[in-house]
Amino acid sequence: MYYEEPGARESLGLRTPKHEDLFHSHPEYKVERDDAKCIRCLCCVRQCPYETTFYDPMRNVVYDVHSNCVNCKRCEVMCPTQAIEIKKWGCGFRENHHWKFRDYGAAYKQSDTGAVVLTGLGNDNPYMSYFDRMVLDASQVTNPSIDPLREPMELRTYIGRKMENLEDFGKESFQEYPNILAEVPIAFAPMSFGAISLNFQKGMAAAAQELGTFFNTGEGGLHEDLLPYKDNAIVQVASGRFGVSKRYLMNSAACEIKIGQGAKPGIGGHLPGEKVTAEISKTRMIPEGSDAISPAPQHDIYSIEDLRLLIYAIKEATEYTRPVSVKIAAVHNVAAIASGIVRAGADIIVVDGFRGGTGAAPKIIRDHVGIPLEVALAAVDERLRREKIRHMASIIATGGIRSSADVVKAIALGADVVYIGTAAMLSAGCTLCQQCHRGKCAWGITTNRPDLLARLPVEMAKERAINLVKGWSREVKEMLGLMGLNSIESLRGNRLKLRGVGLTKLELETLGIRQAGV
Amino acid sequence: MKRVYPKEENCMNCRLCEVACIVEHSDSKDPLGAYFVEGMGFNSAAGEGIIDPADALEAGKPRPLNRISVSLRGYSSISTNCRHCSDASCVLACKNGSLYYDDAGRVRLREDKCVGCWMCLMACEFGAITRNPAAKNVPKVRKNGINHHCDLCPERSSPACVMVCPTGALVYEERL
Repeated sequence: MYYEEPGARESLGLRTPKHEDLFHSHPEYKVERDDAKCIRCLCCVRQCPYETTFYDPMRNVVYDVHSNCVNCKRCEVMCPTQAIEIKKWGCGFRENHHWKFRDYGAAYKQSDTGAVVLTGLGNDNPYMSYFDRMVLDASQVTNPSIDPLREPMELRTYIGRKMENLEDFGKESFQEYPNILAEVPIAFAPMSFGAISLNFQKGMAAAAQELGTFFNTGEGGLHEDLLPYKDNAIVQVASGRFGVSKRYLMNSAACEIKIGQGAKPGIGGHLPGEKVTAEISKTRMIPEGSDAISPAPQHDIYSIEDLRLLIYAIKEATEYTRPVSVKIAAVHNVAAIASGIVRAGADIIVVDGFRGGTGAAPKIIRDHVGIPLEVALAAVDERLRREKIRHMASIIATGGIRSSADVVKAIALGADVVYIGTAAMLSAGCTLCQQCHRGKCAWGITTNRPDLLARLPVEMAKERAINLVKGWSREVKEMLGLMGLNSIESLRGNRLKLRGVGLTKLELETLGIRQAGV
Repeated sequence: MKRVYPKEENCMNCRLCEVACIVEHSDSKDPLGAYFVEGMGFNSAAGEGIIDPADALEAGKPRPLNRISVSLRGYSSISTNCRHCSDASCVLACKNGSLYYDDAGRVRLREDKCVGCWMCLMACEFGAITRNPAAKNVPKVRKNGINHHCDLCPERSSPACVMVCPTGALVYEERL
């Protein structure tokens, strides 16, 4: 950054770094290259998008600018002789349990630039994980367990508003609501084209079609290449309204209104103009090169009544053939908010916990705003049941689902389906390096640079996403079997199958589960 | 006949196909062995830069050369090797029959016959033929080297470059 054009920073309203800033560019990682093993194939030099690794033909050495390394592991994985190892730089600062690198690293960066520190992915702070403090029940002598390899096990579930009662079934007064069928209780989370690459989105779409589940377009519109997968698409209407038209709403399985995102509750989004390429501009219906700004609130929603207007506007536009979902971030009072949303006419509520990922968010907001998914989910489910409106909406849980055990625990806490975002990216090779906001993902996931896109072919993304979800489904079936259940719908909200370990009485009450051993 | 076909949209310019090709055609079949023991392509300890393969031959330590190469222009790259054409102009151009079709239809080379006249190199429409000064069992008088092109790894069921490609940018299949 110290070799850039003079004036480049002023044009962005940022201060030009001065010499004293050099003292603050502490490297976090070190690229160690075993010279005895380096065959100078220069694969690492070509693979590094973060300007870390270079080749000097005069001295015939491969050298590194260590302070640029983000530990994305691309060079480590690609090196044909395994000559590279990324290490933590030195001993770090003097040990300090109060000041961590995340604090002083950000402070240095801000002192250099005077800007807001951006980041990608989800909250990485060491908050307690309630998923890790909950354990599952298993059948022993008194109730038989089921072998999922020999007996049928049902993972399919219907998403959407259910009928009021079955007594009127067949009569004219019987009202049926549009539902969508998910063959597995795992769908792909909203990630917009622009934030992620088209290849990855196509891969997820194709995987969703093959698995009989859903992918979510995010707020970036539906690219025309994704039209073959429209029956598995949940299309999002966010505050920027990118790409929204009647055609867009009809090319879907369900429509989703995005109010908030777990990683950045209460703030909007910003896709920088230089990332708005021709394809993105066409999909988002904005001029090429212009900033794509999603305002913090939806400017036509300032109350629950306004939300009702938008929900019914979408229902009218889709002629009441699509369930309408509302996605909110998990925040304080989420239960009351969810109750209002259901009464406003939403068929699905998506609760996004504070571990949820993002393509770009201010680090301070990602790390400190919102509440854990587990408690929010328990509170929402409890409230809707108590008010006898739980049947009026399905609940989708998202934000930090790491494994099939988390899926089972979330469903036992009251979710119908879970969205996986970060886990889906992991299937495509993500190494959680948290550089999504920089648009040059070394794994071709969160980028639209053509040379980086080639790193994630559509078939690869599709195959690996299918494998992940299939693997998880098998594990979910095993876990259902050992609990003596043969259908995922018998597990929904079945909190007796959960027990808390090491939680306080108040936490157990909030989660609605019992202490282990009781 | 099965051939190696590139997929441009999947190629990411990592050039592991070139490394795999060199390793496959080395004696040790090991990257370190191919580059350090057999090859004199460079000598970092002596502070030398990459030296000409012809000089490596002089030094008596030839390293195999890659038979597949990646071309890069702007953001797009593509990995190309011998197309093994069924009506190859190189075979037509070869004046002493050192290029020939084997039973499987591959274009092969009789190393002991090639004199290095480069008519094949001139005739090839794809630029897939290079010169190989480091070929083994070749009299030293042919200092400019002999014909060098993809042999589709006769010892393997699928060529090494296809096996190593991380993104499936090379496919080995039968096409009409």
